[in-house]
Amino acid sequence: MTGYGDSDTRLAQVRVWVRERAVSLGVPVSVRLICETAGARLSVSGVALTVDTSGWPELRCSTDALGERLAELHVTVGEGPCVDAQRTGGPVLAGDLDGPASQRRWPAFAPLAVEAGAGALFALPLVVGTIRVGVLALHRVVAGQLPPAILADSLAFADLALRLLVDEQAGMPSGSDEPAREGWPLYSPQVHQATGMISAQLDVGMDEAFARLRARAFADRKRLAELAADVVARRLRFDPTGEEAS
Amino acid sequence: MSDERLLETFVELADTLVDDFDVIDFLHLLVARCVALLEVDAAGLLLTDQRGQLQVMASSSEQVRLLELFQLQNDQGPCLDAFATGIRVSHTDLGAAGGRWPRFAVAATEAGFAAVDALPMRLRSEVIGALNLFRTGRGALSVTALRTAQALVDVATIGLLQERSIRQREILTEQLQGALNSRVVIEQAKGLVAERLGIDMEGAFAALRGYARSHNLKLGEVAGAVIAGRTSTYDLLGAPAPTDRAQ
Repeated sequence: MTGYGDSDTRLAQVRVWVRERAVSLGVPVSVRLICETAGARLSVSGVALTVDTSGWPELRCSTDALGERLAELHVTVGEGPCVDAQRTGGPVLAGDLDGPASQRRWPAFAPLAVEAGAGALFALPLVVGTIRVGVLALHRVVAGQLPPAILADSLAFADLALRLLVDEQAGMPSGSDEPAREGWPLYSPQVHQATGMISAQLDVGMDEAFARLRARAFADRKRLAELAADVVARRLRFDPTGEEAS
Repeated sequence: MSDERLLETFVELADTLVDDFDVIDFLHLLVARCVALLEVDAAGLLLTDQRGQLQVMASSSEQVRLLELFQLQNDQGPCLDAFATGIRVSHTDLGAAGGRWPRFAVAATEAGFAAVDALPMRLRSEVIGALNLFRTGRGALSVTALRTAQALVDVATIGLLQERSIRQREILTEQLQGALNSRVVIEQAKGLVAERLGIDMEGAFAALRGYARSHNLKLGEVAGAVIAGRTSTYDLLGAPAPTDRAQ
């Protein structure tokens, strides 16, 4: 198959791992299952996922007690890699929580995290621009950076989790796939431009505008990128009354 | 090309170890300076992300942005070749039949371009992206312009990859990944502004960038402020809000 970049291959590989696990356990694909698969496949001690629907991180799942403890610590002290990842929209890679850089950056969080037994914490934000969905956090009991290949896989796990959560927000069946060829549609700038336009048309936040766009694409069985192009070209408007006018 | 402006640009591009370094602003600077200083009409830049996927990070116009995306979607084009091989790639007559990238050549010709050069962003064995320079006229770019372009790209690449401590490399990874999300924020803001003001994406981007420049803010910050409602869309135009909204 040509036309597939390395990232698509990784995402496909990660999806296969998650599905294999779902099949072997006889359970549906869920955020929890993604965390568990990540914990088993990546060389990390544990994985935790927090969602941010209320403006406050809420623990959705954790593969171990340390993950829970670290999530709790973030809330308690109000700082840490996950808080920064959520705020900046970029990953925060703390390879050595006991090192001077981490201790300086998070004077309250870092000593307590080390005391709890964590050596390294990698916070990967689940974000679509200003839509902050949550954070996937990987921790290790020993210090050390994630090798590039593991980091790339981790980001693919984060992509998958983000996708699932975004589907959930749009009220779509979890794990429903866009046509396979489309890849991850979030690489298309028109999807985000359309989200911005819909947000103005409906006078709603980006999260709701994005959910509406996705739900509409799903209902119409149209590709998200295609529908977004219609919005950007002003062939389609979203109407506050709920009736979309073409 | 003014030597003084060129020198100024080199200094600007070398200045990356500052506290408030912003990848997006930095790459936009590179693209804008290429168009201003060289005999080219447009420029676009692709950078690889942590996933190994090329991403359009900066472009001098919406049209070029779409052309860069076209390369990614169709898996062909000079930027991809320059990135894959680490070697400069040129096409001096896109309108001529044949060539290495038939679909890209058609798209570029339709967009009004006749020639293209793609320069790899490379430091030793590490290739992190590529810069595309587009021209509306056929023919080769002058040797001086090419050398200058490669020098600008090299300085920018060194600026990004320069000998950093391990912690600094970590920070760079965080910044590059964060910049990808900033791009998404900017696209969302463009859509919002375009809809509210009844203008196109190009105009919306110009408004955001103009405001960022005149207020000495980062593009990503302005985009975020507009979405959060801290900066009104009418402020962007430097005009008072109209009393009767044309809707």
